[in-house]
Amino acid sequence: MAYTRAHALLFLAPLLLIVLVMYGMMAWTVAVSLDDWVGMAPVWKFHGLENFRTLLGGALRERLFTSLRNNLIWLVVFIAPTTALGLFLAYGLDLVGRAERVLRPLFLYPIALSFVVSGTLWAWMYDPDAGVINNLFRTLGLGRWAQPWIADPHLATFCLVGAAVWQYTGFAMTLYLAAIRDMPREIFEAARVDGATDVQTFRHVVIPNVGHATMIVVAMLILVTLKVFDLVWVMTFGGPGISTEVLPFFMFVATFRQQFVGIGAAVSVLILILAVAVVVPYAWWSMRRLAA
Amino acid sequence: MITRPRTTQWLVIMLAAVLTAAPVLYAADQQQLVIYHWWTAGGERQAMQVIFDAFTKKNPSTKIVDNPVAGGGGITLKTVLLGMLAAKIPPDTFQSLSGAELKQYVDGNYVAPVDDVWKAQNLDANYPAVIGKMTTFKGQHYGIPMNAHRANWLFYNTKLFNELKLAPPTTVDEMIAAAKRIKSSKPNVAPIAIGTREKWPAVFLFDVTLLSTGGPDVYEKFYTGQLNVKTAPEVRAALQKFKDLIPYLYQFHGAKTWSDIAGPMAEGQMGMMVIGDFAAGLLVQAGYKEGVDWDAAGFPKKPQEVFLMIVDTFVRPTGAKHPEATTAWLTNLTDPKVQGEFNIVKGSIAIHKAVPDTTYPDKLHQEASRTFKSKRIVPSSIHGVLAPPAFLSDWQDILTRFLYSPDINRALDEISSAMELDKVSDSSGWYWAK
Repeated sequence: MAYTRAHALLFLAPLLLIVLVMYGMMAWTVAVSLDDWVGMAPVWKFHGLENFRTLLGGALRERLFTSLRNNLIWLVVFIAPTTALGLFLAYGLDLVGRAERVLRPLFLYPIALSFVVSGTLWAWMYDPDAGVINNLFRTLGLGRWAQPWIADPHLATFCLVGAAVWQYTGFAMTLYLAAIRDMPREIFEAARVDGATDVQTFRHVVIPNVGHATMIVVAMLILVTLKVFDLVWVMTFGGPGISTEVLPFFMFVATFRQQFVGIGAAVSVLILILAVAVVVPYAWWSMRRLAA
Repeated sequence: MITRPRTTQWLVIMLAAVLTAAPVLYAADQQQLVIYHWWTAGGERQAMQVIFDAFTKKNPSTKIVDNPVAGGGGITLKTVLLGMLAAKIPPDTFQSLSGAELKQYVDGNYVAPVDDVWKAQNLDANYPAVIGKMTTFKGQHYGIPMNAHRANWLFYNTKLFNELKLAPPTTVDEMIAAAKRIKSSKPNVAPIAIGTREKWPAVFLFDVTLLSTGGPDVYEKFYTGQLNVKTAPEVRAALQKFKDLIPYLYQFHGAKTWSDIAGPMAEGQMGMMVIGDFAAGLLVQAGYKEGVDWDAAGFPKKPQEVFLMIVDTFVRPTGAKHPEATTAWLTNLTDPKVQGEFNIVKGSIAIHKAVPDTTYPDKLHQEASRTFKSKRIVPSSIHGVLAPPAFLSDWQDILTRFLYSPDINRALDEISSAMELDKVSDSSGWYWAK
């Protein structure tokens, strides 16, 4: 049976519906962000960009910029180590031979855990008194390295990032492993015949050949940093004070706990703008590089 | 294709038809009560069962459709309800807290008055007046409360206090003096236990500080936005005293929840903690004995001892599908016998005056019940009972930040700005309405 254009449309219809709903919701959120909706019941009182003014220059300015700063910290501190560790592990797994079967699931397990579970576990590990990290330091005679971790407003965000790196490394590893397995085996053999060490092979053969995987990994991780919520909610609840708040957390609290629905929608719009502003240029840049 | 005997085919069709129709017929035949609440934790779940049993005994033909949603203080439930109410598919009743929290549903026209039940059960006489006030908006009652938690308890380690010959403090100044004694004689013991990972326990500690430095009138005015925060000496004084407490707090409080530190307090690694009566249940469950390992005293006692109250309430949603079941449910809650049995399990106290103090097996709840009947009752700020929930959320951020960088002037600015943004004064008018 031949497939016609009509078939294609038929099979795409469900997707189209989803896309329509998604963009419909986005449009609705933008509309809400321009309204003075406070409270449980919808209030359609248009007041232009007032919500954005409150956020960017008014009473919520400090809060917004704290969240924004933390999202940027996530962007800068989270992506590089996750990507690097993932690539490193993937190449390692490619080298170890049969042990891979045992090791691969081990590295993959964290991503299978819910963030609520891993957040709780990490909060216990970071506990300054009873936590495993400080106790490990003390046992090893490195007591001066012990820190208050999540109880320190200046350290807490980095502690959260640490937990996320642990959880996402397996994800990056999987994509890189696929990319490495996709490379023709001849390249590796040629490198070996030329007398390249494993490190040299990694540097000169693997890294230049996994660019497309890097693009996907980094783009996905950027989105993770922009929408991070669960770990913050479980581990610190945005605290101490508001020191670990991120934009999605701020959005949720403003909308559902404080019922500033208009303000919450405005924060969502800012997140959307950020996502588009960060991801689109990155995708464009890396696709051009790949094409070159 | 496999051929089946005709009879088998018919049987399958009939079975399918019956299975499809049964729930519909069943539902049509039976009266239902669709209920949403947040009592999911160990003891709470069993406490709810006490009410369910009493309700079923009185209304045998009504089936309870139970929808518990976990999350302390109903944070998650509120999010779920928001969607249901906006979509106009309300349950037959749901749980709320009295006061500002309940007002949000009233403002959204999501709940209907319950004056019929209130009058029929003579609650004006049977409940304390302040409870009536906390459920009254625009001249009508909108909720039926059934239990009260006391927020202003000072729990302390009995052995430690005996060893150092310390009396339970009655003011924050005495608390600081006791903390000083503990710190100097036992450097490894954290004098004041607190866990602020979930932030709100910081509000419990501030509330007793404000009650101690300013008294209940100032407390009520502060949380309803009647004070000019930037200039009122009472707020500055309370923050100053709160700041004085900081050196004696457990230093890693930001990494712990309140339940994490109750155990160490009973073990003697920490001296005392300000928390609600619900901590008693946790301590007893963990095997720590009242009067042996720990004790609790109402706090502060000066200038005036009050019962700082959190009230759980059930409501009648607008357009509920089974109005008779709702009325029966609300009426059942006001039964003194049900309230007594429920509260023993729940770890709170009944608010019906006919429930005797001796109902409760432990010292703490007997004292709570006595205080409830004899002392002034002040609505707690926590969980959005007195101040609007929007402010409470900002407030716990301000206080936990203050504990790490205690800058009084900055805190006053933050409070004043939050009170304005959260419209504390405007939305607290109900509390002062005559």
